[in-house]
Amino acid sequence: MPWRESAADLARARAEQPLVFDTAEGRLTGIYCPADPAAAAAGRCILMLTRPRSHRNRMWVECARRMSALGFSSFRFDYHGDGDSEGESGFHNPNTPYREDAVAALRAVRAQFGDARFLVLGACFDARTALSTFMDEGEHIDGLLFYAAPVMELDTLVKAHADKKDWKHLLRALGNRDNWQVLADPERWKYMATVVGRVARRSVPTSGEASNDTPLADSFVHHFRALVRSQARALFIYGDADVEYLSFQVALDTVFARLSPKERARFEVELWPGDVHGFLNIPMQRRSLERAIEWLSAFHPAAAPSGNGLTNAQHGEENRSGS
Amino acid sequence: MIVHVHGLGVEQITLYRLETLAARAAAAAGYPVLRYHARGCGDSAGDSASITLGTLVEDARAAAEEAKRRSGATRVIWLGVRFGAIVAAQAAVGRDDTAGFVLWEPIAKSMDQFRGQLRGMLFSSVAGGKKPDSTVEQLFERIARDGGVDVHGYILYRELIESCRDADLAAALAAAGEHPVQVLQVQQRGRLAPAHAQLLEALSARGVRTGSACIAEEPGYQLMSNPAWQSDALTRATLEAFRALA
Repeated sequence: MPWRESAADLARARAEQPLVFDTAEGRLTGIYCPADPAAAAAGRCILMLTRPRSHRNRMWVECARRMSALGFSSFRFDYHGDGDSEGESGFHNPNTPYREDAVAALRAVRAQFGDARFLVLGACFDARTALSTFMDEGEHIDGLLFYAAPVMELDTLVKAHADKKDWKHLLRALGNRDNWQVLADPERWKYMATVVGRVARRSVPTSGEASNDTPLADSFVHHFRALVRSQARALFIYGDADVEYLSFQVALDTVFARLSPKERARFEVELWPGDVHGFLNIPMQRRSLERAIEWLSAFHPAAAPSGNGLTNAQHGEENRSGS
Repeated sequence: MIVHVHGLGVEQITLYRLETLAARAAAAAGYPVLRYHARGCGDSAGDSASITLGTLVEDARAAAEEAKRRSGATRVIWLGVRFGAIVAAQAAVGRDDTAGFVLWEPIAKSMDQFRGQLRGMLFSSVAGGKKPDSTVEQLFERIARDGGVDVHGYILYRELIESCRDADLAAALAAAGEHPVQVLQVQQRGRLAPAHAQLLEALSARGVRTGSACIAEEPGYQLMSNPAWQSDALTRATLEAFRALA
């Protein structure tokens, strides 16, 4: 059911406060939604990374107000060059996330409102930006909710593997519009993912950076390692029809596969039927939002010890069949 | 004093950055500007299911009052963006503080907006290789029966459509008085589109001072682009339109 604002939601809306903060790219504008003082405090602020800050159909506005009623504060803001913020607009490349903006936002919230512990979330470019915050603030972040982002740099692959028949064949196949339409068939997706994984395992490092021996984007690998170094839990959600899932499968077969059992247990992966990326239909929006609220709520100190995201993460369960 | 009246649904987002930049350009040129989110839109309170033409008009009027209170200005220029043009014109009815209207690619009749949204959704299906399962008229029937349909992640609600089924920009501008109107067309075509030309002719015939500019660009109103659409030409034309009204 679409959101119908309750009296409690309205009260939470009226409690929201603007926050403007400085970065090297200009002054950024955001909205802080304080935790409902009537609720037991969760002691965590959710940094919602979106473009623009309300996101499609205001789904993160609803999330902010409902989480507030559960005792969580949150902050949503516009990156430089977006929405109401200053700065130059540019193409948002998921492999060059706006880490400085997100880290500045987190620090501004800490300075202004005193929040000490954070949860971060986003989709696509915003998910990659959320992940990048672990480079600077990993010790203060308890959870990452990561929706449908690409984790591989196609250009790098083209350069590094131009002499490899398999990659050329694969990229040619992916560059053909007709094949994209065929990929609407889930069976075809499985086949393509298998091909990508097989080629990836045979490949050499994609850049001069010796520390990344995978075909994944260097930035993803570095930021993922920062996530691993932290003590945070993470939930990765993709749709089986998402183009982005193709590259994530390579991540599962490489950087995820190398984690120790203890590290791996902190991370959940869910694969849902359909397209998650873009939240382009109401049922997927609602499912994504409700899952976010469920998973984030489990970080409340008073949350039930079972039936929540923490328990799954602790057991390292990977749900590829949808839930 | 300039009051922006934003468009509906995803169009509020696709034109958001441009509104921000235009507002700052106007402020730099000496015009106080107020932008706001109507109830059920953006960061404001309210839910999308409760939006009607009546709530949109009420909110535009409240915004104008707040803008005047904060700036000390006595006259309002309404910047109506797409469907916001109809809202702005209706908001000006019965007021004595309107200095004029600047309209960005205005919607002439409310049903044109909804029909365009539904048509865009069907085109998108075709482009994606799927045969649409309904016509636009069948989708309207579904809205009447079920209360709404999902248009690319936004619900087009029956209440909104029914609240403004007969809303017409020309009629609303006529009811608002003889205020000058500047139409800024934003379409790929270089000449004024028939709907805009008819509107301006009708206004001129009533003695209303009018002007227009054609911005030969196409933002893709229903699609979020990366990066967000911007147009220096539209910002410049908007400033010129404000000067023409001043």
